[in-house]
Amino acid sequence: MPRDPDPDSPDYLQQSDAVRARFERLRQRDIILKVDRVGKRFRTGKGETLALNDVSFVTHRREFLSIIGPSGCGKSTLVRILAGLTEASAGQVLLDGRPINGPGPDRGMVFQGYTLFPWLTVKKNVMFGIEVNQPDKPAEPLARQWLSLIGLEKFADAYPHQLSGGMKQRVAIARALANEPRILLMDEPFGALDAQSRARMQSYLLEIWKNIDITIVFITHDLDEAIFLSDRILVLKAHPGEVQELIEVPVPRPRRADQAVTPEFRAIKARLEALIHPPATDTDIEREMPVFPRLTSVTDSVE
Amino acid sequence: MLAGSFILPLLLWSIVSYVPFVWHPNRLILDPGSVDYFQPGMLVDRMTFDEETATARAAGKALPAGIPANPVYLPAPHEVAVALYSAFTTPPPGKDGVWLHESLWHSIQVIFWGFTISSLFGVPLGIICGTYSAAARLTEPFVEFFRYLPAPAFGALAVAILGIYDGPKIAIIVIGTFFQQVLVISNTVKRIDFGLVEAGLTLGVKNLRILPRIVIPAALPDLYRDQRILLGWAWTYLIVAELIGTTTGITWFITQQARYQHFANVYAAIIIIGIVGLGTDLVLALVGRRLFPWDRPSPHG
Repeated sequence: MPRDPDPDSPDYLQQSDAVRARFERLRQRDIILKVDRVGKRFRTGKGETLALNDVSFVTHRREFLSIIGPSGCGKSTLVRILAGLTEASAGQVLLDGRPINGPGPDRGMVFQGYTLFPWLTVKKNVMFGIEVNQPDKPAEPLARQWLSLIGLEKFADAYPHQLSGGMKQRVAIARALANEPRILLMDEPFGALDAQSRARMQSYLLEIWKNIDITIVFITHDLDEAIFLSDRILVLKAHPGEVQELIEVPVPRPRRADQAVTPEFRAIKARLEALIHPPATDTDIEREMPVFPRLTSVTDSVE
Repeated sequence: MLAGSFILPLLLWSIVSYVPFVWHPNRLILDPGSVDYFQPGMLVDRMTFDEETATARAAGKALPAGIPANPVYLPAPHEVAVALYSAFTTPPPGKDGVWLHESLWHSIQVIFWGFTISSLFGVPLGIICGTYSAAARLTEPFVEFFRYLPAPAFGALAVAILGIYDGPKIAIIVIGTFFQQVLVISNTVKRIDFGLVEAGLTLGVKNLRILPRIVIPAALPDLYRDQRILLGWAWTYLIVAELIGTTTGITWFITQQARYQHFANVYAAIIIIGIVGLGTDLVLALVGRRLFPWDRPSPHG
């Protein structure tokens, strides 16, 4: 991928007027999530490891923010801290100006693994949050509405084990959103899906996001997915997990699959590649390709 | 499958019973001949029979006649089948005789109460231990200690406290089941997918409500399976329990029949226990499939 020869104006920073105007509007919206110098230490057998160090960023209302980084950069830890499932060792997270304290229904979460409740039907899964938090509210019509929004009303009375992986994650999204959270946290939600369902789910997610008042924080290790979905991408680096760069995606909306060949897309992809996969170092064992000798039982060449 | 697995043992039993040169260590006397202590219908050792025949032949007296037979404690399948049938059709001899099904019903009641009382305390305690590690640390060492004590060892104590009737029998079944139950249930609850608990937390379930909302429903099909296995264990304590105090139930029937050497009836009673046990388990498995329609192996992992 050719890099811009001029370091002062790398072209992933160039935005068309429409894109620039969209980011203007974005920045004018309220700050919904403020992550303030968050750090996380884990105690391990060999002492303490610093998983996250001094991570700060803000998210505006109805923003789609992706978090990417190499493995071990603590992106999952970060989203678990936002969800309240893991406690930060330093700093704080403010949601609508109030510090978060433990998990709560104001932050919905979609996990990478399938976490639909297997003993509940699809409809009852979607009703779960409403019944827990607003017992007086009639949950069923709302659940039906959500099921028709995600196109699964035919499966209302099916059990999760009867659904495909993509359908399960659609229900998981509906279950989280039926709870009317302020933000939706997604931890590599499409990681286990095949390429086709993955692409379909991405378009689905954008449709949902566009049409309701929700802010999404999306963890992924797939650069194309991050670019396709996001307004901004937070790039973390590993050991310790720190913010490397917060990038505004210059690709215009609405997003389409064929935008992958546009110069903006290629520019930001090149930038992300450079940030996440820096030039190889001698210690990088994963990069070295071992020389594989031909086995003695193999006598002819296939090439 | 179910029927197939019974064919081989039954075949083995039939061969040993009906093929004269396989085993048959005794002789069934048909005609005592000149041997004064032989009687028709008597079972004697083959060696004794041969010796007596040789003696009689040497003396030129009438020879005894007999056919190869198995010992009295191994009746042939058809004898057990007849015993099984007549146990339900012909009234028991003697004025204090009981029908097989009456003693069996008494045993089933003892099992039922023993298992119910054990479950009433064991299942909730197991769930709590499986959910809260503090509760597990507090109770599990004692439970582990107690579970190695053989339940029948408490027999004399149970009689002293609870009298000689059904009380101590139920107590033995409770002691035998309860401590295993706490550990088994606790382990099952510990194995639930923690992701489900976290999903519940992010959906707004608070603290103690995690238990009824997530933990119990998530573990329920496995808890049900555990209970089925534990019920089988409760049956294994039955015979010992029924020997404590006054012997009752199916055990009384078995010991009584064995005393009169009606071994066909003993086998009939043992087979009935097996049928009741297997039958209960099959019914419970069927009920379980109805109760937990979501508990199916998933094609998507």
